[in-house]
Amino acid sequence: MGKDDVSTKKRRKLNTTSSENTKQSPTDIYKRVIEFEETEAQLRSAEKDSALFKKICHDVRQLFADIAELKAKGTDEAKEKITAKRIEASLHLVALKKLNRLEKVRTRAGRDALHKEKQRVDSTHLLLQNLLYEADHLNKEVTKCLQFKSKDEEIELISMEEFYKDAPIEISRPEITKTDEHQLQLARLEWELRQRRELAGACSELVASKERVAAAIAAARSRLDALAPHLKDVLKATKPLQECLALRLDEKRDETRAATLLSPPLFLLYANANAYSDALGSKNVSVGISGDEDEARRLDQLSNVESELVVSNDSDSDQENNDEDQRDSKKKRHHRSSKISKEEKAEAKKKEVLKKHPLNVQVTITNSDGTALNLIFSYMIHLKIVVVKFTMNFPKPITGVSAADVLNGDCVLNELYVGDTGNDSPHPATAYLLKAAGISENFPHFISEVGKPYIWAQRMCGLDFMAVSVDTQKCNKNFLPCQSLSVASVENFIFTLKRRLKARIDLMKELQDLECGKVLPAKGLLCPVRLSGSLTQWQTVSWNEYSHALSTSFVISEGLVTPDNMLYRAIITRQSAKLVAMVAVSSDYPKQAPIFSLTLHWNGTHHAGTSDDIRDIERVINTNWQNTEKRLCTLSTQMMKLLTCLDVLLETMGSSEFPPDKVMLQSIRGRNRMKPYKYLKQGTGIFVQN
Amino acid sequence: MLDKMLYNTILSQTYSPCGKYLVAGNIYGQLAVFDLVNIFNPVVEQITSDFNKPKHIHLLESESQICSLVTTDKFLIAGTVNEISGWDWKAILSSKLTKPSWTIKIQPQSLIEKCDINCLWYKKDEGKLYAGCGDNKIYAYNLEDGSLVSTYEGHSDFVHCLHSNGQQLISAGEDGLVLLWDLRVKKSYNKIEPHTNSKIARPDIGKWVGAAALGDDWIVCGGGPRLSLWHLRSLDAVTVFDIPDHGIHVSFFQDDCVFAGGAAKHLYQLSYSGDVRVELPVSATTVYSAVYRTSPHKVLAIAGSSPEIDICTSFNYRDQVLHFR
Repeated sequence: MGKDDVSTKKRRKLNTTSSENTKQSPTDIYKRVIEFEETEAQLRSAEKDSALFKKICHDVRQLFADIAELKAKGTDEAKEKITAKRIEASLHLVALKKLNRLEKVRTRAGRDALHKEKQRVDSTHLLLQNLLYEADHLNKEVTKCLQFKSKDEEIELISMEEFYKDAPIEISRPEITKTDEHQLQLARLEWELRQRRELAGACSELVASKERVAAAIAAARSRLDALAPHLKDVLKATKPLQECLALRLDEKRDETRAATLLSPPLFLLYANANAYSDALGSKNVSVGISGDEDEARRLDQLSNVESELVVSNDSDSDQENNDEDQRDSKKKRHHRSSKISKEEKAEAKKKEVLKKHPLNVQVTITNSDGTALNLIFSYMIHLKIVVVKFTMNFPKPITGVSAADVLNGDCVLNELYVGDTGNDSPHPATAYLLKAAGISENFPHFISEVGKPYIWAQRMCGLDFMAVSVDTQKCNKNFLPCQSLSVASVENFIFTLKRRLKARIDLMKELQDLECGKVLPAKGLLCPVRLSGSLTQWQTVSWNEYSHALSTSFVISEGLVTPDNMLYRAIITRQSAKLVAMVAVSSDYPKQAPIFSLTLHWNGTHHAGTSDDIRDIERVINTNWQNTEKRLCTLSTQMMKLLTCLDVLLETMGSSEFPPDKVMLQSIRGRNRMKPYKYLKQGTGIFVQN
Repeated sequence: MLDKMLYNTILSQTYSPCGKYLVAGNIYGQLAVFDLVNIFNPVVEQITSDFNKPKHIHLLESESQICSLVTTDKFLIAGTVNEISGWDWKAILSSKLTKPSWTIKIQPQSLIEKCDINCLWYKKDEGKLYAGCGDNKIYAYNLEDGSLVSTYEGHSDFVHCLHSNGQQLISAGEDGLVLLWDLRVKKSYNKIEPHTNSKIARPDIGKWVGAAALGDDWIVCGGGPRLSLWHLRSLDAVTVFDIPDHGIHVSFFQDDCVFAGGAAKHLYQLSYSGDVRVELPVSATTVYSAVYRTSPHKVLAIAGSSPEIDICTSFNYRDQVLHFR
């Protein structure tokens, strides 16, 4: 019964509420119902509803069970009860429906609340993000500010001590600045500014004064220029006077002007040789400059420009070559219309490399008898060496073939100093330079064309390639000719050459005599009375002929005779005996005595390799010179001795063909059966062994 | 002006008593001392370019040519011009030559004329020195006191060579004679004249006899005439050697062979029957001296008109060349 109570109450309650609602707004009843239910759902607790729901469900189930039981009875009473119970169950179902609706409303309200809450969280989060970003940005701004650099930091300021010392008190204001760093900085900057202003003022003042001075200089220069024509007029006026007094002032002036255009090595040579010419008199040594002056001037200017260019890059001759190439190619571009063949190009290149400085120095050395040697020194611009050409002048013609050869310029200058044949360039870089220019021939190939590069010529011009080769890198670029070397060499050369010339003229005279078959002894030499042998032939021989003679193998193998010597063959005959003497005269004659190699044709062929007698004679002629004879040991003296020795040898042979004619103490002496080749002036003169 | 040493002529050589040194004398009065030990067994590490040059070159005071050299146990004896000098071997081996220990002077007939001591022979058992001289005589000196013991006269021109086998002495001279001497008698007891034998004579070279040697039964001699072998007792020319020379200056017996040299390109070793056994090429134009020694090295040194001395250890070929310059 209890159940029923509850359900009725409920129903009532429900009914009342619904009736109220309908009364208030009958038009929008549905809305009101919803609103009412919503509020009701709010007010009621969900747990209680849930318990109520469970209780109703239980009641319904109980009713159903009762109905089922009553049905089973099948009585009318039962039927009535069933109906009552049916009604009761239906009411319960209505209550269930109501609860269900309430629940639904409640769920929706919960969902709405959740949604609302979510949205609120979202917006709050967004706000937080914005704030963070802003904070970050502000931070950045702060650091930027902190890092800001002021322009004044770059300005170099004077030090603090100096500032306080120098700056006036109104700027330094020590009472503030000592404590406030910012003020200090400002003060220092102010002081700096003031100082700079002062300096700028001073600078502009100086510039102004400089301009004034420049103007003054220009004015002075223009005055000087105006002076030149006047001076020229004066000079012109003096000319008649000079001619009248036979002064060579003008010529000398011209030459000095030309001298300034000479290449440095030749200038040195010119200056030194000129000095000696003054000292010794122009009769002995004369110096001149020849060549194209204008060309030299052009070259001088060109080289000035070039040197300015070259200074920047550390170039050597290689670079120069490249420059030349470029210049060449430029030139060729200009003349492209006239096609240049390859050979012509090579020829031009060769010419360029072998180019000489347009000015050369002429030195003429004259001997007392008028024989003059004229030397032309030229400087090869690219090979950087000095080459010499020469001509001889004779006061009177020379007779005799071999005699003339002796005074041939080549021969006179050969080995003027030991080993200096002038047959190859003394500059170690020459071969390289030629190769770099694409020339396959080596330098000796061009010597006949350009002249001989004697070492003495280089030294006279102050070029010392020994030093260069030792220290190539330093000097290669532009080594300056050494003055002291040139001074010493010029003096030495002039005297050496004069000595050589004199010796050669003497030799020439001797050879002239020998070629005529005359053997004249030098004065003061001990000489036996009669000589029976006679010189029948004297002629020049080639190295080939000389080296093929039987007798010469010894002196050649000992290196005493080289192809550089002057070689002769003398034939001496006496009756059936014929003595062939191969004579090698060194370039240094008479400092070095001629070397004789003998072959005797009599009773077989004898020479030093087979006969001791011939060897003894060679010893006498080539080595046995007593001190007194040394200065007289000329070619003729040796020939004289040879004739004597031959006589002695033949006369001691014991042959009836050669009757003893000379006084000999012992014709043969010693185990080596030595013949008496030595002449003693005792009585009529006797011959003894050494 | 050439160096006179290029035309050096070595006239005489000898070995030191120990055999370790070779001494050579030349016409310029220089004595060259060669250290043979160093030459034969050079220390490879210390070898220098001048190892075959003399250890010392001594110049005699007189600077006259050294014609002959002979060795005794104590002295080196050198025959120069007009004098014979003896040096202690120690003095020779030191770097500077002192004055000779003793000197024997030979006075020539005239002041200008000079007397070469062409040949020296030392007779050990008697202590006597025999000198064949340029004044045609042979002198015998007692080395104890340097006194002249005897003079042997017989040659009419200067004496080229002396040799002895003990009792007898043989001498060869420029006059073309080969004389045999009994040492006790002042006159020669026998003589050979090679130039009178038509098979032997070579008139174009001369009649002089440059070398003669005495064996037990044989004599070998030569010079201007050909090299020839003579029987000692019968004095017959047994063999005439056919060698291409222009004068013999050296000949001696050794190991049943005849060694001969002179103005020829070779030094010859010949059998008694005349066959050429060995031809040794020589540097000298004319060989004036060939000396051999068997102990401590077997060595033959050949010198003459050349600055070079040829050394053979086998007697068969030229081993080394020494330079006297």
